[in-house]
Amino acid sequence: MTIAMVSMLSMAVSCEEPEPEPEPEPEVVKDYNFDLFVCATKHGGMSKNKYGTYVRSVSSLTADQPRVEFTGKGIDITEDYTLESITRGKYYYQVPQKSTGGFVKFHIERNAAGEETIVEDAEVPFKDNQYTARKYTHAWIDDSTTLVIVGTVNKATKVIWSKLSESTMAVQAEGTLDIKVPEGFGALSTSGVLTYRKSDKKLYYFYLAKRESGQSDAVTSVTYIAVIDPATMQVESNTAVPASVMEETAGSAYGELMQNMIMYDEADNLYLAGLITVNGTEMGILRRIPAGHKTFDTTWNGFPNPEGKLLTIQYLGNGKALSYSQDPSLVAKASIDSKINFYSIINLADGSRERVKFNGVDLQYCGGRFSQRSVVVNNKAYIGVGGEVEGEAEETYPTIYIYDCKTGVVEKGRELSKGFCFDIIRAMDVK
Amino acid sequence: MNIRNRLIVALALLGLCFPVYGQDSLSVKGTLGDTLTLQNATVTARSREQKLREGAFAVGALNIRLQASTLQSLTQAIDKTAGIRIREEGGVGSDFDLSINGMSGNSIRYFLDGMPLDAKGTGMTLANLPVNIIDRVEIYKGVIPASFGSDALGGAVNIITSSRARNYLDFSYGMGSFHTHKADFNAQYTGKKTGLVFKPVISASYSKNDYLMRGVKVRNEERTAFVIKDLPRFHDDYLSLFGQLEAGVQDRSWADAFFVSALVSKIDKDIQTGATQDHVIGMAERHTLSYSASARYEKTDFLTEGMQLLASLSHTWDHSVTVDTIYRMYYWDGSYMEGGKSEIRGRGKTLRHYRRPMTVARTNLNYRFAEGHNVALNYLLNRSGNQQTDTFDTDFEPTDDVLFKHIIGLSYDQSLLNGRLNNAFFVKDYVNHLKIGQNELSTITGSGQVNGSSTKNYVGYGAGSRYLLFEELAVKGSYEHSIRLPISRELLGNGSTIYANVALKPEISENFNLGLFGTFDLGGGHTISYETNGFVRLVDNYIRATVYETEGMMQYVNESAVHIKGVDGEIRYDWAGKLHVAANASFDDSRDMRKYTSSGDLSVTYKNRTPNRPWLYCNAEASYTFSNVGLRDSRLRLTADYQYVHWFYLTWAAFGSASSKSKVPTQHLTNASLLYSWRGGRYNVSLECTNLLNSLAFDNYKMQKPGRAFFLKFRLFL
Repeated sequence: MTIAMVSMLSMAVSCEEPEPEPEPEPEVVKDYNFDLFVCATKHGGMSKNKYGTYVRSVSSLTADQPRVEFTGKGIDITEDYTLESITRGKYYYQVPQKSTGGFVKFHIERNAAGEETIVEDAEVPFKDNQYTARKYTHAWIDDSTTLVIVGTVNKATKVIWSKLSESTMAVQAEGTLDIKVPEGFGALSTSGVLTYRKSDKKLYYFYLAKRESGQSDAVTSVTYIAVIDPATMQVESNTAVPASVMEETAGSAYGELMQNMIMYDEADNLYLAGLITVNGTEMGILRRIPAGHKTFDTTWNGFPNPEGKLLTIQYLGNGKALSYSQDPSLVAKASIDSKINFYSIINLADGSRERVKFNGVDLQYCGGRFSQRSVVVNNKAYIGVGGEVEGEAEETYPTIYIYDCKTGVVEKGRELSKGFCFDIIRAMDVK
Repeated sequence: MNIRNRLIVALALLGLCFPVYGQDSLSVKGTLGDTLTLQNATVTARSREQKLREGAFAVGALNIRLQASTLQSLTQAIDKTAGIRIREEGGVGSDFDLSINGMSGNSIRYFLDGMPLDAKGTGMTLANLPVNIIDRVEIYKGVIPASFGSDALGGAVNIITSSRARNYLDFSYGMGSFHTHKADFNAQYTGKKTGLVFKPVISASYSKNDYLMRGVKVRNEERTAFVIKDLPRFHDDYLSLFGQLEAGVQDRSWADAFFVSALVSKIDKDIQTGATQDHVIGMAERHTLSYSASARYEKTDFLTEGMQLLASLSHTWDHSVTVDTIYRMYYWDGSYMEGGKSEIRGRGKTLRHYRRPMTVARTNLNYRFAEGHNVALNYLLNRSGNQQTDTFDTDFEPTDDVLFKHIIGLSYDQSLLNGRLNNAFFVKDYVNHLKIGQNELSTITGSGQVNGSSTKNYVGYGAGSRYLLFEELAVKGSYEHSIRLPISRELLGNGSTIYANVALKPEISENFNLGLFGTFDLGGGHTISYETNGFVRLVDNYIRATVYETEGMMQYVNESAVHIKGVDGEIRYDWAGKLHVAANASFDDSRDMRKYTSSGDLSVTYKNRTPNRPWLYCNAEASYTFSNVGLRDSRLRLTADYQYVHWFYLTWAAFGSASSKSKVPTQHLTNASLLYSWRGGRYNVSLECTNLLNSLAFDNYKMQKPGRAFFLKFRLFL
């Protein structure tokens, strides 16, 4: 079945492309925990929360488990760490809240009292490049033994990079990408989005040219694709994306430290969520760079007839993806925390999509423009909804629903204590 | 009035005109001059501070005259008062936050002789006001008399300058740890022929503030790892210059007093850290230059007998510059990384100019229409501008914001039952006009929501009552429905570490106080006095400071509802003006009472204790004064004091395990001082040691306070 789906996908990409080797079934991840991030009062992405950020690490999200409580439990990371983070295995990697000019690696474990606690494994200073917490993007290269960090400085006019060893966290090299602010523009995006494609061993850096730093009007931006040799960090090509294909990437200020906007399928086609202006309104769009190519297939759109912005995408396998997107028509004036966001399953073969349902009823709308409340692991997607129904706030709890990627069956999972803004689920190895 | 009563009055006045060395009662034994001889007679008079405490309102009163001979700043003195907590960000000249009964420092208004302290320029604060010119400080808790024409919510601090009838010259110089120097001069001269009175004041203070920062993180020599070291602050120089000349006449037929004055103040301040000490700054600076011209007029029996007019007018030209023009990230060892972000704002380079002209006009008309009955009408006009330009950032668009306040107050005071019962009633009307021009970082500052101008009107009212049952027991209560309009620092930021939030709403509060006080005269010169005050503050749109850790910046935000309940108390013991022991304790419990978030959900912080604020703190002080030690007509005063501040959480207490939470740790601070004066206070030398035990102390999260320090000061008073 998988082979058939992959074949169909590949056909859809381009008839001229050779058929890729069939990919093995995804490795079943064992011994993982789920780290659940919540914020008090307001959703926390983009540093919007000033009221506290808390994390619980739990081994199971099934409905038979007790409600996840945060009162007197979990870790208060408000002052030390950002919600936005790089994760791999059991480790978190990030530029911490405190401005030390360093980079920290840590993991969560339980102490003798059985409480979750953060253990810092390393903190190293950068050599010359200065990054700001949450304003950078990353990719793993060299079989995930090297971490590449990219950010912008000088009022977002200069793109800097650093390479760190995963094992020692030593800064191996630093430099500046040969990317300039295009003529007629004033600044680049805050971080851009970096990704590494295994099939061609290239880094793809998606960034924006903006009229000025901080400008948020997509129609005036231009998206660029820089293809970079990860060994030398030389920019091999730098191509402007036509506005009709994509005006902006879905996010451009903090890479994929929080939200997933890039995904790969079994054929190593690269998918990117973005924005395009339709009749004066910013709408979501899903584009694809087929394996073996370095620019978008302009004929393919995986998110046709959008209700609003496409916020996150995650590959589920078998040619399907989970999307988190907006329907701003639900409220008169949408804000970051408006309950207008919902989950859908996209069939990448034809772009059709269907709302995720439980017992035949759509999962409720969620607040949290900057949230990543879903994670895909071991052929299951764990999808969190906020428990935020206006007027029913005291009766509903944030709940995780479990979508079986193979069967499409949705079951109800674990609940979280009410009142918090539920922002992130991360699946973390425990070994 | 019999001779004894006259003597009491005379001695009371004497006590007000000369340094009293802290006692609230004055005891005299033996011979007094040639005309009157008393044998073992003890007369007692209440000081002004004591009288104020015994009024209808909840008031803390502090005699500052003694501080003039020490190197302590006004903030250090006030910090030891019951119900008061001052949180400082660093050493000399650092920013501070004062709270009264749990209300944030910016809910507190400051006055100098009844005029807003801002009129002296934005650089002049309790931290750098010359102590030598100050007589006493009145601290109004929660309920503020209408005479101030103030929109204070949590309280008011009124600093009363010295007023002496005779000519004098007062000079002092002090020096101490961390390269601290301070010189003050003030005098009064009355021309014999013209009757013109001149009052010059000059003050200068400087400190490098290079105290040791313990356990800070720096890079190793290879710059491959971090190591922990103790290192001195290296970019925290502070220079304050202040000059004022007041000239006028007194006791004329047309005026009890008419004075005009001119003032100049200059503050140069290096900036060492952002909102936490992890954010190290090595080049950024802030400079403030202010000029002020003012006039005041006082007349009793104005228009009719029993009517008193107090009128004043001032205009201030205030220009501050924040220099943030380097792309660097510093470490505590002074090394740095050439980066791509400015030091303070973490964005582009700026050389930001803030011009904040302020005009204040105040009129206070009091009319005593019958014995024990007084009405007063007050009007305060306060216009403050905030013009921003940038001479480095060419993208910055100049702005011009204006805050306009009219506050009208009407009050009625009555004294009944032969003075045993005092009542006060007042009503205040606030008109606030705001014109916002700035639009930078609109998503952070909210300028996109509030562009343009708006005018709003608010009404406040209140009452207070005091009943004296016995000398040993009196009860008082007061209430105010108070309004507090955001100040420019909260609305418009400070140009360096505080973002503007122009969408801030006024705070509104129902303030209640209920207190007991009394004095026990135990005989033999032993007196014990006490006071205790319970309070409730029911605040809407509470304005709270928050920290953007990532950028090391702060911003003031509204909390929709906060309830504060608490109690403070103080007990004082005095023996014959020699031994003085005092202790006070304060407790308050502040809870977030917002039930639903803006999106309609149940707020998880509902009824939780408000984070990042001290809620239990105590002070104790003991002093002993020896007379005629070494030299005739001399005094030696030894003082020790101790301050305790209980630890508190930086974030909401309820969430997360206790071991994972950030805390501001408990403070134990002990200070000791020695003051020797001779020739009746003409010459004074003081030696102080602050933080005697060299404790690691924090008022704010990750902002170390200075360790042990020594200060020496000489004062000449002629």
